[in-house]
Formats: sequence, structure tokens, C-alpha cells
Amino acid sequence: MSAPVTADPDLVPPAEREGVRELHRQLDRVWRDGPGLRGWLMSVDHKSLGKRYVITAFVFFLLGGLEAAMMRAQLSRPENGLIGPDLYNQLFTMHGTTMMFLFAVPVMSAMGLYLVPLMIGSRDVAFPRLNAYGYYVYLIGGLFLYVSFFLNVGPDAGWFAYTPLSGPAFGVGKRVDVWAQTITFTEIAGLISAVELITTIFKQRAPGMSLNRMPLFVWSILVMAFMILFAMPWVAVDSQFLAMDRLIGTHFFNQAEGGDALLWQHIFWFFGHPEVYIIFIPALGYVSTVIATFTRREIFGYPAMILSLVATGFLGFGLWVHHMFATNIPQMGESFFTAASAMIAIPTGVQFFCWIATIWGGRPRFATPFLFILGFFAVFIIGGLSGVMIASVPFDLQVHDTFFIVAHLHYVLLGGAVFPLFSAFYYWFPKFTGRVLSERLGRWNFALFFIGVNLTFFPMHLLGLHGMPRRIYTYLEGTGWGSLNLLASIGAVTIFVSVVIFLVNVARTLRNGELAGDDPWGSSSTLEWATTSPPPAYNFAHLPVVQGRYPLWSRPLDPPVVTGLRTDQRELLITTLLDAVPDHRHRTPDPTIWPLLAALATGVTFIALIFTPWAAVIGGVLVAGPLIAWGWGKPKPGDPVVTEGIK
Amino acid sequence: MSERESLRVAGETGSIDVSGLPSTVFGHRALTWWGTLGYMAAEGTTLIVCAVAYLYLQRNFATWPPRGTPLPSLSAATIQVVLMTASIPVMIWTARASRRFDLGRIRLGMVLSSVFALAFCVLRWFELQSLHTRWDTNAYGSAVWAILFAHATLLVVQFFEGATLAAMLFLGPVEPKHFADVDDSCLYWYFMTGAWFVLYLLVFISPRVWG
Amino acid sequence: MRDWLQSALQPAGPEAARVHALWVFMLWISIIVFVLVLGALAWGTFRRRAPGNVTIGEGSPGERGMKRAVSAAVGATVLVLFAFLVFDFSTGRALTARRTPAVQIEVTGHQWWWEVNYYNAVPNRRVTTANEIHIPVGRPVLIRLNSQDVIHSFWAPDLNGKRDLIPGKESSLWIQADSPGVYHGQCAEFCGYQHAKMAFIVVADRPDDFARWYAAQADTASTPTDSLALRGQEVFLSSPCVMCHSIHGTPAGATLGPDLTHLASRRYIAAGSLPNTRGNLAGWVLDAQGIKPGAKMPPNSLTPADLQALLAYLGTLK
Repeated sequence: MSAPVTADPDLVPPAEREGVRELHRQLDRVWRDGPGLRGWLMSVDHKSLGKRYVITAFVFFLLGGLEAAMMRAQLSRPENGLIGPDLYNQLFTMHGTTMMFLFAVPVMSAMGLYLVPLMIGSRDVAFPRLNAYGYYVYLIGGLFLYVSFFLNVGPDAGWFAYTPLSGPAFGVGKRVDVWAQTITFTEIAGLISAVELITTIFKQRAPGMSLNRMPLFVWSILVMAFMILFAMPWVAVDSQFLAMDRLIGTHFFNQAEGGDALLWQHIFWFFGHPEVYIIFIPALGYVSTVIATFTRREIFGYPAMILSLVATGFLGFGLWVHHMFATNIPQMGESFFTAASAMIAIPTGVQFFCWIATIWGGRPRFATPFLFILGFFAVFIIGGLSGVMIASVPFDLQVHDTFFIVAHLHYVLLGGAVFPLFSAFYYWFPKFTGRVLSERLGRWNFALFFIGVNLTFFPMHLLGLHGMPRRIYTYLEGTGWGSLNLLASIGAVTIFVSVVIFLVNVARTLRNGELAGDDPWGSSSTLEWATTSPPPAYNFAHLPVVQGRYPLWSRPLDPPVVTGLRTDQRELLITTLLDAVPDHRHRTPDPTIWPLLAALATGVTFIALIFTPWAAVIGGVLVAGPLIAWGWGKPKPGDPVVTEGIK
Repeated sequence: MSERESLRVAGETGSIDVSGLPSTVFGHRALTWWGTLGYMAAEGTTLIVCAVAYLYLQRNFATWPPRGTPLPSLSAATIQVVLMTASIPVMIWTARASRRFDLGRIRLGMVLSSVFALAFCVLRWFELQSLHTRWDTNAYGSAVWAILFAHATLLVVQFFEGATLAAMLFLGPVEPKHFADVDDSCLYWYFMTGAWFVLYLLVFISPRVWG
Repeated sequence: MRDWLQSALQPAGPEAARVHALWVFMLWISIIVFVLVLGALAWGTFRRRAPGNVTIGEGSPGERGMKRAVSAAVGATVLVLFAFLVFDFSTGRALTARRTPAVQIEVTGHQWWWEVNYYNAVPNRRVTTANEIHIPVGRPVLIRLNSQDVIHSFWAPDLNGKRDLIPGKESSLWIQADSPGVYHGQCAEFCGYQHAKMAFIVVADRPDDFARWYAAQADTASTPTDSLALRGQEVFLSSPCVMCHSIHGTPAGATLGPDLTHLASRRYIAAGSLPNTRGNLAGWVLDAQGIKPGAKMPPNSLTPADLQALLAYLGTLK
């Protein structure tokens, strides 16, 4: 019982090889999805759902990028007649809504949902059916937004939908209602992913992976998930208040009846500021993982890194008023938010310095993932510095709502989230698909993306200082903004080309790229690299036992594993919160169609709510059916059944 | 040393055999407990946002409730508070029974839970009337209706959950995990009633105290 | 860009100048921090290392030195942020110091134009105009901001930062121009279809020019003597124009659209979209939607003769 049990048939004596192969076959039978489309729709496998989630989010990234390209085309010349005000207003609304709600947060949760169970040595997330439901709700929400856009009912009041412009008096038609309900879909999906990730991280870590041995990426996902839990309900409620003002005559934002236009902004930004850290913090997890792998050194200052992540998470909730400095909020109150907004630079600085120390002490290898990390440093720091500048109220009053802010937000989001995301894509692509992306195309991707981002957004700092506000579909020749805008638009073309190169790289690699072993990088440290690429449905034949912070760097040739889990039904090992001591075995659900049906019923309900409040009642009944069927499962043969209670 | 401790020690040096571990656990050891906690955090935050709106909008009015709107009547809401308080020991009793795998008692408990939840919903209807304002009268009306309505969704969901669990427990087949589900349902009950106590103080009592 | 005065980097008044000074300070600090941090990164990345391929961790040589370096860097960060806060708060305090306004103006935002009212203790010396503000050079001016519909934002970067116009809430902004000139501004809070074309100008006049302008603006429009212009006044008063516009001295008193009493004195029309020329005015009157789609002004079909008369009349409104 204390002798290690390996799951690699080639590492055991020939006599035992068939036994190991039989183990793999049994586990595969129990854990794999059913065949065909039906099996795919019924899947509750976190990897299958995670891949779908990532791909869907990336498609939205491309759509958001096309919207940006159209805007840049229109703005490339003064008084351009390419796109009129109505379409332009829809474009920047769709761009912001898509990028923030349909791409940035979902892609981060999706990467978490795929990678966390592997990285902590488990077989699935805590609530696999809920995971499926959450993905389908997200997908339906995104499709709903885009179908509405193509039917010319797309939202046009900005991704932030300030009242009273978005209210019943000025927001004509159903456009803003479409926006409000899209929020509902995405917030539900986000909250579901948060509960999944917290529960999985707390309760399913491999034996020996105590909290202070948990990979920094898992810590970043944990912080992100907590932030989602406490931030997203704010925008969900705000959007419902708006929907109610528009549909049933409430007065939350109606000044004439005691409502308040600023209430919208306070609630929205109380969500909106943490939102950007929700996007940024997992990216910090990618940075730590990739730096450790490609410098072959432990990340310097592990406890400081964790404290910084947590501090950023907390502080992120205390900054929201800095989006509202131009309103009539008292100066005294604003000073607090200036100080807090400046202070949040400190934990980020700590992380930067620890990474630089790591790289200094390590042995860098300039593969594409590492190049994107270097790009992250250069681009994000510019965004961070401009961020400290706009923490100042007097300065912000000049550049608020101008292209200076557009520059800042894109430097921090592209630098702080998208560069690390591309790094993550290149790094984990072999694990997801079994093939390694081309290094040559990767370098071109990186170079053009880096040049393009800087070319597009650096001039915007100047444009904002020179008086150009945001969200304008055109500008006069006399302003002199034409040349910088043209430069920015050329940069946008460069970004476009770099993304095309990425897509070409993906397509060619999937067709016949270089095959990956368990760890094609050779120096990865986390558990997902201890299994095949891509992983089998059951992730690991035997769950690993962890004895250090960087399990793959310190494990013996025949590492200790967990034995004794059932191989005739799906079982997870649940461990204790702090020290990951094995606690109990948890029967996890088989594939089922009910999450999909429940999501469809939910979708119908939310969409109908745009037209009538009674949809809440009818929809409630509609959703109840699949939910009851979901919960009222029949026990499988072999499961214990109780008839009279156990005395 | 305990089973757990021996497993931990074993993990430090070699492989671990977990076949002896249980499959049904209660409380914070169980995954669904954490899921319930997550749901409570999300719902609780939702209620906090409604309360924040209520508090923020007060500054737009000279008096609260606004001139022309009477204070909300206390009868229905206070009966609600009393009934909810009475329900708590029942749910504690049910939770204890579930941890002892006492099927008979939890069947009764879930029936009682459904009856209580239904009564809460009915009382919630009367509470809404006792506000003496409509959601579309003014911002005060919108804010108080939002609070009561948001909390009402908890009551409605709890009723359906209780009724479904009760039906499952009677119609069967009953699995050990259903006992843990009952325990989680009781945990949620404390949140649902506790949240109402706070909101009751906010909506029905505080205007009388602060004016 | 030098002729068109719409830039925070060309301050023309004390408020904008203070912010500009803060900007220069922050820019230099940022450049230094950028160079230092990326320099450290570059050195750490590209420095030459002894050969070997071992993963390193706590307890390895250089770890203590790294701890000191990282701590020093964090300490430096805190100090820099503190310096920034000190400079920022002192700037903020200077900008909100109380003073006595030489002129008080009330600006009301509409979709998509600016209503401008000059306060005066004598009611019939109050001035109403649109999209063009005149102020005396070198004197502080207080602008009270309100909105009739959605949130707008008043921003003339050469003079000061912006302030939002929020319906139901009044806010205020100080401006002062220290040299004469025409300072451009535009709405800086998304307010619907034509947010892009909701511009205004602040004209800083020498004191006697300002007095002269103000006196002319305070007068009502005189009845034209020229027969074509008189005919034009008839056209105006019998067309849908009077549904939205007022001209003091005539029965036209509607306030939905900009006041036209002194239209001919303004440099721009359509909230800064077009220079105020005869041709542009004709185009605007006939088909505002073609120039500013979504604007609240409908197209007007006029016979060529009526149009010429109307333009002649509007030309007399100095």
C-alpha cells in the first residue's frame, strides 16, 4: 500500500502492463463523453466544456475586434462618411459589451475551468452539470446580443449605459433592454463559474497540496472567483433596475420622482472597477506560470505574490468613484479615491519586482510564450503609469472621457490581459490539443501585435490631451486630429494582421502540427503536464500526491499516487481546505441533457422578460421542469439506496 | 492517530489508499455546502445592492417615506418575522435528523419546510400591500418593492426546493446524498430568514426610528 | 493644431496651467520609472549567466540580495506615489479656492446644443445665447451647469478640466482666460446620436470688447428696414421656426431650440459644426438632417425666394 503505483504502461514490468492498460480502459469507459452530437451536448466534462468556452470567448474577441476595425476605419479621416452616428454608436457599444462581458471575463473563467482541475490533480470541477448550464447560458446570451445587433435592435447607449440616456425617456425601443438582458445572461454564467472554481480549489486539491503549495495560477483564479461573487451582482441588479424603469415604470433613475441618475453610476462602477481586476488577476497567474517555466526558476517571493493578489482583489473594490470625478461629488470624498487608486499600484509593483527578480535569477528561454510575457511588461507598465496619472482628480478632469482614457484602458487590458492570454494560448495549446503551435508564426504574431498595439494606442494619449473626446463618430478637420487618428488606424490594421497570423497558426497546427508529449516545454512545473496532451477524459489514471510547490520539478521517477477510488463510476477525491488531507469520496454526475434544456428555458425566460414582466412567472415554470429533472436523478445500479433510514 | 492524520502522513512518503473513506458527509466537508455558501454570497450581495439603493435614494426626499405615503404597516411583516423565527428550530431539528439519516423525521421536516415557505410567500403578498405604495409611484416605492421582491424570490425558490425534496423523499428512491441535501436546505434556511430580519429592520422599523 | 485652441497642453488660463504643471511632473516621473523598470527587466533577461541548467529556489545564492532589491524597489514606489499625492492634493486645493466671479453664466445642456444665459441683477440686462460664450480676459468666470435631458459634459481644455451636466443636479466650473482668443470645447459625455457635434466656443475678449458685445447681446432684435429682410421676418414668423426658436423683439418665444436673437453675431452654427456663413446657414435651414443626422431640427422646404428673404433677415440679427 505504500509502494507507488504508476499509470504509465511503459514504466511497469511487462507482466503488469495489461493491468495498467485495463485500468485506463475502465476509466475511459466511465469518464468519456457519449458518441456524436448527442454525447457532445450532454457532456459535463470540464475539459470539453472549457474548450468550448475558450473558443466561444475567442470568437467574441474576433467580433469585438471587427467592430473596432470598423470604428478605426471611420475615424481614420476627419468628417469621414463611412459610418453614420447611429451605426457608430451601436459599434462602440457592441465593442465594449462584447469585449468586457462576452470575451474578457469568460475567457479567464474558461481557462480556469479547464486548467484548475488538472493543476490541482482532480478529475473534474465540483459541479459538472452546473458548469454545462453556465456555459450554455453564456452562449445563449451572446447569441442573443448578436442576433439583436444584426436585426438592428443592438444596444447603442455605450457598454456602461448611463442613465438618463439609457432610460425610458431617451433610450427608444428595445435596444437598451437587449443590453440589460445580455448582462443577466453573462452575470449568471460568471457567478456559476465563480462558485465552481472556489469550491473546486478549496475542496479538491490533490493530497499534500496545502494552500501554501498551491500554484500561483490557482491562487489568481481563486481571487478572481471571489471578486466575481461580490462584484457581479451589482451590475446584475443595476441592469434589472434599468430594465424595470423601462418596462414597468419604476423610478430608480428618474430624477422627477426622487430617483437619481448617479445611482446608476455608483452601482455600475462598484462592479465596473473590480471587473477590470477580475480580468487582470488571472492574467497575472499566467505570467507567473510562464515565467517559472521559461526561466526554470521558482517565482521569487511566493508569499508576497499571494498577498499582492489578495490585496489587489480587496483594494479593487475601493476605487470605483474615480470613474465619476467629473460629476458633482464632493471634493473631500474624491480625495479618498485618489489615494486608493494610487495605492493599488503598490501590490502590482510588488509582483513586477518579484518577477524581474525571478527572471534575473533564472535562465530565460525565448519561446513565444515568454516573448508575450516580455510584451506584457512593456505594454502594461505604460497603462499602469497612465493609471496613476488619472488617479489625480485635476488631471482626470482634463482627460476623463477622452482618448487618453481609451489609450489607458487598452494599454492595461491589452497589456495586462491579452498579452498574457496569448502567452497562455501558446503555452497551453499543446496541452489542450496535443500539438505545438509554430514558433516562427508565433514570433511574427508577437512582433506585429506588439507594434500594432503601440501604434494604435500610443497616439491616443496625445489625442485626448489635445481635446478629442470619446465616443464620437467624427471630428472636424480644423481640430488637427486627423494625422494621429490615421496613425492609430494603421496600427489597428497591424493588429488585425497579427491576429490573422495567429488564426493561421492555429489552423495549420491543428491540421498537422508537431505532436506534443506530456510536457513539450521540458521545464513545466505544474500537474497538468504530468498527464498526456491532451489529457484523457479522466485526467489522471491515478490522482497524484503532491509533496512540494512545484510538483513536476521535485517528483521522483515513480511518484506517489492515490489509489482506492472506484473505477466503475465517476468519483472525485475530496480533501480538506487548508492541508488537502483526503476526506471523502464524492460521486460526480454522469453526462446529462438537462443542463442544456434548463439553459434554453432560462434563455427563453430572459428574452421574454424584455417584453413582459409576466415572463418571470411563465419562465419560472418553464425552467422548473428541467431543474427538477436535473436534481431528481435516478440512482445508477450499484449506488446505495435508503428505504427506511439508517438508525 | 486518526484516519485522516494517517493518510496525511502516508502522503508525505508514498501512495495513499482512499478506499476506506466515506462517500456521504455533512457540513463544510461536503461540496454542496460550499455551493450553497456561494449561492448565499451572490444572493446576499444582491440584497445588499437593493438595500444600498434604498439608503441612497433617501437623500432625494425630505421625509422618508415621502410626503403622502404612510409608514409601512407592521402587522403582516411582524407576523412574518415571528413565523420565520418559529421555523428556525424546526429546521435545526430537521438538520440534526438528516445527519442521523433519520428518513421519517426529514420527511416531516421537508413537508413542514414547504408549508412554512408557502406561508412566507402568502405573507409576502400581504407585506407588499402593507407598503401603501406602488413600485411606480416614486423612487421610494421602487426601492421598497425591489427589496421585498428580491427577497421573495428566495422564498419562492425555497418553497419549490422544499416541495421537490419532500416529494423525492416520499416517492423515492432515496439515496444517502439526499440527507446531505436536506442539511444544505436547512443551512440556506438560516440565511433566508436571517436576511429577512435585517431587511425587515431596514424597511419597516428604521423609518419609524430615524424619521 | 496651433491655431485651433482645443488642447490641455496649451493652457490659456490659471486652472489649465496648474493641471499642465501637474502633468509635466507626472510625465517625467513616469518616464523615469518606465526606463528604470524596463531597464531592470532587460538587464535581468539578457544578462550573461554561468552555464548550467538547474532550477533555483529559496536559499540559493543571491536570494538575500534579491530580497533587498525588491524591498528597496517597493519602498521607492511608495515614496514616488506619496510625492505624487502631495503634488496632486496641493493642485486640487488651489483649483477649488474660493474667489469672486466677474461674470456668472448658466449653461444648460440639451441634445445637442448649449444654452447660455448670463446672470445679471437687472432682469432686462440678462443675455441669452447659444453655443458661444464670451468672457472678459483675465477675470474669473463662474459657470453653473444644468441639463434639460441627459448627462452632458462641458469641456474647454485650454481653460480647465470638465464638469458633467446632470439633469436635476447643478454643478459649477470656474474658467479664466489670460489671453484673448477663441477657445474651442465640446461635449465630453456620450449623450446620444450627435454627441460628436455638440461643440461650443469660449471667446475671451478684452474688457471693452466684452462690454460692447454684452451690450449688443442684451438688446432685442430691431425690426429690419430693408424690404427683403422684412419679408424674411414674415417668412420666419409664419414657418415652423417659431415652434422652437425665439427672437427677442418678435412674437417668437419658444425655447426648445437655440435663441436666434443675435444669430448673425456667432462664428458657428449647429453647435460648432459649421462656420456661420450664408451658404452653410441655407444648407442647415433646408436640411439639418443631412449635416447632423438625428438632430432635433426637421428639414424645411422653402421656396428659393423665401429662403433668400429668410437669410437676409437672419443676417440682420447681429
